[in-house]
Formats: sequence, structure tokens, C-alpha cells
Amino acid sequence: MKGILYALLAGAFITLQGVANARISRDIGTWQAATLTQFTGFAAALLILIFVRNAEWPRLKQVKPLYLSGGAFAAVIIFGNVTAIHHIGVTLSVAALLIAQLGLTFLIDGNGWFGAAKRKMGLPQFLGIGIMIAGVLILKI
Amino acid sequence: MIVGLFMAVVAGALVGLQNIFNSKVNERAGTWPTTALVLGLGFLASLSIGFLAEGKRLFALQDMQTWYWFSGLIGVGVVVCLVQGIKRLDPTYAVSIMLISQIGFALLWDSLGWLGLEKVPFSWKQPVGVLVIAFGIVVFKLGGARRAEPA
Repeated sequence: MKGILYALLAGAFITLQGVANARISRDIGTWQAATLTQFTGFAAALLILIFVRNAEWPRLKQVKPLYLSGGAFAAVIIFGNVTAIHHIGVTLSVAALLIAQLGLTFLIDGNGWFGAAKRKMGLPQFLGIGIMIAGVLILKI
Repeated sequence: MIVGLFMAVVAGALVGLQNIFNSKVNERAGTWPTTALVLGLGFLASLSIGFLAEGKRLFALQDMQTWYWFSGLIGVGVVVCLVQGIKRLDPTYAVSIMLISQIGFALLWDSLGWLGLEKVPFSWKQPVGVLVIAFGIVVFKLGGARRAEPA
């Protein structure tokens, strides 16, 4: 039960993050909003890291540099998300974002890219994305 | 309309890719080093591109409201809740609930126009569309035998 609550909250926070960025960007600009929120988030995470004294830093060296770079995508993600929310509203933005997100996961897992163990992407995943697109069409008609 | 959809699709594809990369870092380094690294790099990337695009205007923060300084903490909230959710539930279920919650709250924000965003007029189509999308997520995540992958 508590797990469900945490998962619900995680989703609410992700959406809130996009909405807050969209709101802030109207006052100070989109790149300013992205830079500011990433900076305060980074500072907080760093503080927590020091506080929990997680000694696993050296293990970062065992990770392929390509994978370490994922965080940099956030600049474009935030810019895209904020621009989308300004243009088409939160619901449609999140819907399109989720479809693209799951669609790419589907492609990567199905082809075994980036060292993902190749697995059969079945009809359910294909159908799922189709149903989500139908949902977007309902939102728009 | 097209611009908005295009931007959302680009953002979503990058979120998918980033989740896969981040989970590889997470496997080795644990939650907080990964989170600090990811947000730190996001900051550096936003700073660089922002400076290229806007020059010194990037640092002219006018019209700041106090809460703007703290909005970055939402990202930390996401990590805490997701980690706690996955600890207590099967990851596939936790991620499915999170995705559905994202689209559900999106509709709530549009309809209530919180935080001064433009209100999107509410009609029956919206809850129906969101329910259909949520059903699509369930079919995608829980249909057939798939491993629990990061969202």
C-alpha cells in the first residue's frame, strides 16, 4: 500500500516538475529555468550524498563513459517539455512524451541495443503503444 | 500544435534513452551518486546551451519568486519516491503506477490551471482519453513476459 503511494507520488512529482519549469520559464526564460532547477537539484543531491556517506563513488569508473553522459540529455528534455506544455498543454504533452518514451524503450529492448539483453517485443507492447496513440486521438478530436 | 507534439516526442525519446543509461550507472554506483551525477550534468548542459543561446542574459534572473529557488528539489522528490516505490513493489508495477500517475496528474493540472498555467477547457473527451492512455500503459508494461526495465 505504501509502495503504491510512493509510486503515485513519484508520477505526480514528475508532472509537477514539468509544470513548475513551464511556469518559471514564463518569468525568467526556458534555459534559465532549466539551469536553475538542475543546479538546485544537483546541490540537494550532493548534500544528501555527503550525508548518507555513500562510498560507491569509485565504482562510477566501472561504467562506460557513454552511460555516464545520460544526465546531459536533461537540457534538451526540459527545453522540449516546457515548449510542449506552452504549446499544447500538460495532458497532451505528457501523453506524447510517454508514447515516445515507451516507444524508444520498445525499440532498444527489442533490438538489444546498449547491451540490453535482446528480448522479444511482443504484440502486447505493440498494442499498448497503439492504444496510447488512440487515447491521444480521443483527447484531440 | 505540431511544434508542441514534436518537442514532447523529442523529450520523451531522450527520457527513454536517459533512463536506460542512468539505470546502468545506478547498478554500479547506487542511487545518490547517480542522482548527483545526472543532475550535475544536466546543469552543465543547460548552462552551456543556455549561454550559447542567450549569452549573459542567462544570468539575469528577474521576476524571481522565492519558490523558484526550490523547484529543483522536486527532482529529488521523484528519486526518493521512485526508489521507495520500487523497494516495496515489483519494479514493473511501481513504474506502471508512476506512468499512469503522470498522465492523471497532467489532466488535473490542465483542468484546474494550477500555478497560473492556461486552463484547458474540460470535456468528457479528456478523462476518456486519459483512461485509454492508462490502459495502453498497462497493456504495454504488464502484457506478456517482459523483464522489469526502467521506465
